[in-house]
Amino acid sequence: MNRLISIFLPLSTAVIFLVVWHFLVRLSGSDLFPTPMEVVRGIRELIEKGLLLKYIVASLFRVSWGFMLAVLVGVPLGLILGWFRAAFQALNPMIQILRPISPIAWIPVAILWFGIDDTAPVFLIFLASVFPITVSSMAAVQNMQLVYLRAAQNFGVKGPQLFRRVILPAALPQIITGIRIALGIAWLVVVAAEMIAVNSGLGYLIIDARNAGKRYDLVVAGMVMIGLIGLVLDLLIRQLEKFDEVKWGYGQR
Amino acid sequence: MKLISTTFLCGALWLALITGMHGSLNLKWFAFKVPGAAAESEKFRIGFLPVTCHLTCPVTDFINQQVEGQSSFEPVRFSGWPELKEAFLSGYTPATFILAPMAMALREQGVPIKVVYLGHRDGSAVMVHKDSKIYRMEDLRGKRIAVPNRYSNQRLLVFRALRNAGMTIKDIELVEMPPPDMPAALYSKAVDAISSGEPFMGQTEIDGYGRVLWLTKDVWPNFISCVLAVHEDFIKNDRATVQRLVDGIASSGKWIDQSMDNRMDAAKFVAKNYYNQHPRLLEFVLSKPPDRVTYTNLALRKPDFEEIEDLAREAGIIGGDVRFEDYTDASFVPEASAMNASAYEGLKGGEVPPRK
Repeated sequence: MNRLISIFLPLSTAVIFLVVWHFLVRLSGSDLFPTPMEVVRGIRELIEKGLLLKYIVASLFRVSWGFMLAVLVGVPLGLILGWFRAAFQALNPMIQILRPISPIAWIPVAILWFGIDDTAPVFLIFLASVFPITVSSMAAVQNMQLVYLRAAQNFGVKGPQLFRRVILPAALPQIITGIRIALGIAWLVVVAAEMIAVNSGLGYLIIDARNAGKRYDLVVAGMVMIGLIGLVLDLLIRQLEKFDEVKWGYGQR
Repeated sequence: MKLISTTFLCGALWLALITGMHGSLNLKWFAFKVPGAAAESEKFRIGFLPVTCHLTCPVTDFINQQVEGQSSFEPVRFSGWPELKEAFLSGYTPATFILAPMAMALREQGVPIKVVYLGHRDGSAVMVHKDSKIYRMEDLRGKRIAVPNRYSNQRLLVFRALRNAGMTIKDIELVEMPPPDMPAALYSKAVDAISSGEPFMGQTEIDGYGRVLWLTKDVWPNFISCVLAVHEDFIKNDRATVQRLVDGIASSGKWIDQSMDNRMDAAKFVAKNYYNQHPRLLEFVLSKPPDRVTYTNLALRKPDFEEIEDLAREAGIIGGDVRFEDYTDASFVPEASAMNASAYEGLKGGEVPPRK
């Protein structure tokens, strides 16, 4: 019964949303903004042309590389900053200055540095996701409960052992949460990152459709695909939270 | 640590998978290479936007492919002026179609850019909403006009019209907006008038909410908005290639203007292979009227540029020291008598062959 409700509730929200959308477009009498059916037809057109899969793969490629690089840089950097006070004092202000700068502002720099092939969007996605990961890993170490450290000291655990056996496991739940949020951000900036003249990707689809005259159905189709894939990505990354090593760190409600 | 090892393993597998798919679907890594064809890296890139001011770029590429089997350059389509300009500055596109005043301003700021040929003549319009009561420049007093960029000739066009109507820039409000967004802005009456290159102006006419206030050919005959510009190093290192490029643009320009059939063919293959627009848009702006935009008479003439310089100074986008001789290199312009229309015979049976 619970299971049925958990499927039925979100589905009915979606249906109501689509119906309201349809009738609002009809009421407004506008023929520029598409109805849900027109968007579905737009998506089908993309599938028939073989473009949809290409674009999804291109976007996922850029987001995967940018995001993985951000994890590889951000997690170790955050752990170091969280543990060594001097490193924190030296680098934290710089990180806080760079963090609020939107990837859109980096577009000119990215083009000048990398040209306009796949590197520039990967760089933009990396930038957008590396700071949330760094900050959450840093905070995870800093906010670790003192009792773990004291216990470790009592047992004489030191050096690399202390890091591997105590600090990392204690910080892991919060790091995973940071990574999850960062993946959302990485996927969020895909449109901005693909504003650069790459010639594939879901962000490119939206910008290309704006060039194509009255094809706002494809604009919304791009938005829908980005949203749906974002949902899948979030469901996948949530699986990380089910591992025993981190399960203890999340509330049990 | 099961979590970490599993994550790394899955992550690495996923990266390999998605990279392989991207490589095969989008980058054609595994595509069969035609022996003797120029490698992609040997081709130089030309930046362009999907507007009729840059139409000769895709037309030349297409005709080269059809007549000679391959093109010597790779056209790279951008969506906005800033990205197009930055790709040129970074050296990614050694040649580019660009706004004439933008080229002048870049030159003034020390960028080694040289204008070698014109892109087109005419081909812009000012559109108002069909329900509006705007019929003359004077009616735009206190209204909001959208132009593509501060360096655009469409903005200078507004300055010129203001001057002729005895008004100043204070009488109107100018906003910058990417041309693809303009039709929707006019439809929703967010702005009172829009001005950019075609086909975005024609689009508002086709969709039935735009009315032509004026076409550039009527108020500023031989209007130039975009030019073909190359990096100075490109000229220094490879004059022959630049010459071949200019010759190609010139002959395909002549081909476009040769007959209405050629124009309709160009509309079809450019819309399908390069602009990704509905062909009826380009068909409309290339034919109604036929001289809405033209692609002959593209030699660099000093008086044309001096008029642009004059307006650009008034509009505050260039200073005093730009000189025609600095920002142009007219040595590539072919003799009008020696110039032949491209030998391309047009689409066979109206079918557009795919872009190579």
